[in-house]
Amino acid sequence: MSAYSLAGIAFVLFSLAAAGFLTCGSLVRMLMFLELMLNAANIALVALSPGTVSQAYALMLFAIAAAEAGVGLALIITLASVFKTLEAENIKELKG
Amino acid sequence: MIINAAIYLFGGLAALATLLMIFQREPVKAAMLMLAALLSTAGLYLALSAQLLAALQIILYAGAIMTLFIVALTATPAAWRDKPSKSRFIKMLGLAAAAVILTELLKVSALLKQTVFSPEFSETGTLDLARALFGQFTFQFELLSLVILASIVGAVTLAAGKRSS
Repeated sequence: MSAYSLAGIAFVLFSLAAAGFLTCGSLVRMLMFLELMLNAANIALVALSPGTVSQAYALMLFAIAAAEAGVGLALIITLASVFKTLEAENIKELKG
Repeated sequence: MIINAAIYLFGGLAALATLLMIFQREPVKAAMLMLAALLSTAGLYLALSAQLLAALQIILYAGAIMTLFIVALTATPAAWRDKPSKSRFIKMLGLAAAAVILTELLKVSALLKQTVFSPEFSETGTLDLARALFGQFTFQFELLSLVILASIVGAVTLAAGKRSS
C-alpha cells in the first residue's frame, strides 16, 4: 500500500464533504459538512505521517473542531431565531 | 494485509455515508449518516494504530459534537427547516465540482506514489503521544484550553443575548 492510496481516501472524503457543503442549503447541514471536511483533513494528517507528532496535531484539531461546532451552532441558532429560517438562501440582510 | 483491508473498508464506509448524506432529505437521518461516517473514521484511526485518537473520535465527535447537532436540529422549529430540497441537478453539479477538487488534489500529491506505507499494528502510541503533548507541545496544548474557554464564552454570550432580546 502506498501513501498515495491513503491520501486518496482522505481526499475522497474531503471532496465529498465539500460537495455536500456546496449543494446543501441548510445552515446546520453546512456546519455538518464543514466538520466532515475537518475530519478528512485529520485523517490525512494521521495517515500520511505515522508518528506521535501528527497524532498530537490531530488531537489539537479535535479540540478546535469541538470549539468550532459549539460557536457555530450558537451562531446558527441565534441567526435562525432572528430570521425565522435555517435556509442560507433566505438570509439576505446583514444589517441590524 | 488485514490492516490494508480494514483501511479500505472503513474509508469506503465513511465515503459511502458522506455520499448518502448529500442525498438525504431528513435532517436527523443525515445526522445519523454523519455519525456512521465519524464512527468509520474511528475504525480507520484504529487501523492506523492511533488508538487514543479512535477513542477520542468516538467520545468527542460521535458523542459530544453529534449531540450538539441533534439538539440544534430538535431545538429549532420544523417549519424553519422544512423547505423543498434543491434539485438533483444542483447536487450533481456540486459532485462535479468535488470531482474537480479531487482530481487536482490527486494530481498535486502524485509524488506520494513513491512512498511505500506498510501499516503495522503497534500499541505504544498513546504513551508517546502523552509525552509529546506534555513535553514538546505543552504551550500549544495549554493554549487550546484558552481556545475552548473563548468558544464557551462566545456561545454563552450568543445564547444569553438571544434570551434577553
